[in-house]
Amino acid sequence: MASADSRRMGNDGGGAGGAFQPYLDSLRQELQQRDPTLVSVVVALLAVLLTLVIWKFIRSRRSSQRAVLLVGLCDSGKTLLFVRLLTGLYRDTQTSITDSSALYRVNNSRGSNLTLIDLPGHESLRLQFLERFKASARAVVFVVDSAAFQREVKDVAEFLYQVLIDSMSLKNAPSFLIVCNKQDITMAKSAKLIQQQLEKELNTLRVTRSAAPSTLDSSSAAPAQLGKKGKEFEFSQLPLKVEFVECSAKGGRGDASSADIQDLEKWLAKIA
Amino acid sequence: MLDFFTIFSKGGLVLWCFQGVSDSCTGPVNALIRSVLLQERGGNNSFTHEALTLKYKLDNQFELVFVVGFQKILTLTYVDKLIDDVHRLFRDKYRTEIQQQSALSLLNGTFDFQNDFLRLLREAEESSKIRAPTTMKKFEDSEKAKKPVRSMIETRGEKPKEKAKNKKNKGAKKEVKFLLTGFDVPLTASKAAPAEKSVGADNGVELSKEELIRRKREEFIQKHGKAADKSSKSSKSDAPKEKGKKAPRVWALGGCANKEDLDYSAPTTNGAPEVAPPEDINLIRGTGPGGQLQDLDCSSSDDEGAAQNPTKPSAAKGTLGGMFGMLKGLVGSKSLSREDMESVLDKMRDHLIAKNVAADIAVQLCESVANKLEGKVMGTFSTVTSTVKQALQESLVQILQPQRRVDMLRDIMDAQRHQRPYVVTFCGVNGVGKSTNLAKISFWLLENGFSVLIAACDTFRAGAVEQLRTHTRRLSALHPPESHGGRTMVQLFEKGYGKDAAGIAMEAIAFARNQGFDVVLVDTAGRMQDNAPLMTALAKLITVNTPDLVLFVGEALVGNEAVDQLVKFNRALADHSMAQTPRLIDGIVLTKFDTIDDKVGAAISMTYITSKPIVFVGTGQTYCDLRSLNAKAVVAALMKA
Repeated sequence: MASADSRRMGNDGGGAGGAFQPYLDSLRQELQQRDPTLVSVVVALLAVLLTLVIWKFIRSRRSSQRAVLLVGLCDSGKTLLFVRLLTGLYRDTQTSITDSSALYRVNNSRGSNLTLIDLPGHESLRLQFLERFKASARAVVFVVDSAAFQREVKDVAEFLYQVLIDSMSLKNAPSFLIVCNKQDITMAKSAKLIQQQLEKELNTLRVTRSAAPSTLDSSSAAPAQLGKKGKEFEFSQLPLKVEFVECSAKGGRGDASSADIQDLEKWLAKIA
Repeated sequence: MLDFFTIFSKGGLVLWCFQGVSDSCTGPVNALIRSVLLQERGGNNSFTHEALTLKYKLDNQFELVFVVGFQKILTLTYVDKLIDDVHRLFRDKYRTEIQQQSALSLLNGTFDFQNDFLRLLREAEESSKIRAPTTMKKFEDSEKAKKPVRSMIETRGEKPKEKAKNKKNKGAKKEVKFLLTGFDVPLTASKAAPAEKSVGADNGVELSKEELIRRKREEFIQKHGKAADKSSKSSKSDAPKEKGKKAPRVWALGGCANKEDLDYSAPTTNGAPEVAPPEDINLIRGTGPGGQLQDLDCSSSDDEGAAQNPTKPSAAKGTLGGMFGMLKGLVGSKSLSREDMESVLDKMRDHLIAKNVAADIAVQLCESVANKLEGKVMGTFSTVTSTVKQALQESLVQILQPQRRVDMLRDIMDAQRHQRPYVVTFCGVNGVGKSTNLAKISFWLLENGFSVLIAACDTFRAGAVEQLRTHTRRLSALHPPESHGGRTMVQLFEKGYGKDAAGIAMEAIAFARNQGFDVVLVDTAGRMQDNAPLMTALAKLITVNTPDLVLFVGEALVGNEAVDQLVKFNRALADHSMAQTPRLIDGIVLTKFDTIDDKVGAAISMTYITSKPIVFVGTGQTYCDLRSLNAKAVVAALMKA
């Protein structure tokens, strides 16, 4: 903005390029000579530019750090959770291709607002979208399919590892919640079991991931280390706050019934 | 007849669904999304999944997807039109709900579309039935009935006479002749009663026919501008000479002309020195030093400068336009159409091809991006070029992201737990670097503490076994058994030359299991994809030994060949396998990456064709030159001007 301003002033002075100082002198002379209209025009322009700059700054500040990201593997129930949190109804869903965002009113005493953002879970899209939204994340909700967990534990752990590494690299680390969804299915694993399995898996993952061959541009920094070296990995070792919660987006008695998401809502109310 | 019709948002919410059958529609639609939209194969809009054909349409302005599914055996002609109509009606009816940014409006809105959809479906089905079956033309109405019988009779005598006439008539075609004869005596004039068929006609009718003929002849002559005039109504037409173009050559003395007559050159041009007009001399000479040759200025900054200069004014114009665009945005914003994107997409396609992406794949990619962007409303601060480039970049990154987990060490640990060796097979055409990269990968595995058995199943190439023996010796020297608790970390399993590769591989795996090796790396001979017996042998090796990982080694220098190689390798593996789900190529090793500067298109071609990830990248010929793929860096190099 400042450079555009000075460019405009320089054009008023009647020259292009060259050193800055002669124009400043000529401008000062002209300002002293000319009538106040030029001065008022310049002052008005400065004021407008200043307000624009301040407005943009305030808007960016306000919109950052108010987002809650819903991430997870494909088919883990993120979009249905999103729908349930916002409206409490049941809707059919398909594989998401882009993100959806909406304003969510938290039911705590302050009645504050959060922006819920539902990111696609497909392998080719999830890292791109995470990259785009992680800067504005205040909290990250990682949704896990508890029924298919035994089959997918390695994929879940790999994505969780990626998300944790990315979150730790942010300046203000977001709060983390791992939601064990689909508890209405009888074969669903409990949150405690999922936590233990993930810790074991992440323990081996951090060794293998740091031993992988380096990427093509070796200018990227060495990958961060999760937890403490030498000791078994535990979620409590992380600088982030990680909690585990069970829920069921579909509800116990089929589509029409209400979902069992009280724990999730309580957690959202807590961090808002 | 339709199985189902769904309308859902790109964020995943199903807005409305019509189900003709009781099966749920989520399965096929998910398959459609995963294989077409997310793999950037969105060029044509239909897709087959098991017994259904799915046709889809994207609305990029409001981020909606319309999908219709029907049985594959039916061919319904009204489906495309139905989708367009439904799209238009839905968009107009629910414009307020779908227009907003937040998803809440989509959730809260009720989309009661059933009656409208049934009405449109009924209309579409009726319109496809409404065309009555075409009745056959009667003979009187056909073209053949209008020609005279005489013109269709070919007799020997007529032909040479016509040829003589044709010589004089320069440029008159034979068809002209027949057509002209055809106008002679038509069997039935178009104006006469249709029932009349006789050749000979009354005088009165003949006269009117004469006029008809003459009139038509004149029209014909006018149309073709030839001086073909008929003197009589006989079938032989006396086509006169054409006037004016060229005077016929008169050969004096019966054919001997002298040189001066035949010399058509202007008298002054030969022999006299040509004097160029003075103002052209400087142009001919050009600017620059005369005698010396200057050094080639090799810096790439020139290219960047040239590229930046056009972008900088456009960027400046963009910001200036952007500031006024904010105001323009209040009035109405522009949506992208195919014509706007046409030139940009052509340029991008050529750019991709110049960067060594295979030609078909570049075309398909650009088609898919055009499909994704059509109708989209541009933001206020963006130009068409930047939007298209952004979309192309996103789709390229999407293609390069692995569809499955790429972590070999983790899988080896799994196999260790089950106490069996992890078998990796390397295949590829001749000379791509299989043995070199096998050595690099075994070095990497040794560094991570796994023991490796190298199986020399290349029994054809001279020196293949010796090469692997040398590698084994060097790797042993780097990781001697003493430093690993007396365990040999790397060993070569070979049976000499000329034996069956599949048999050697099987023995190697059994040996590894007995001796407790963690990984078996199987090196095969290079083979061309067209060589059927060798492809059969490779397929047999893979089917019999069921390796955990089949890696295709391809060099980054390859261009359009990559498509052919991968397709044929996969097909050979699928054809010769007995199993329900045949083992195909699981991953790609991209070699010789240091030899290309930024022409990295081969990576895109290979991952697009197989949709399998690039597991390793070879960047040199020493043991440490092994890297993993960084999608963003490759795409940045690809999009760099």
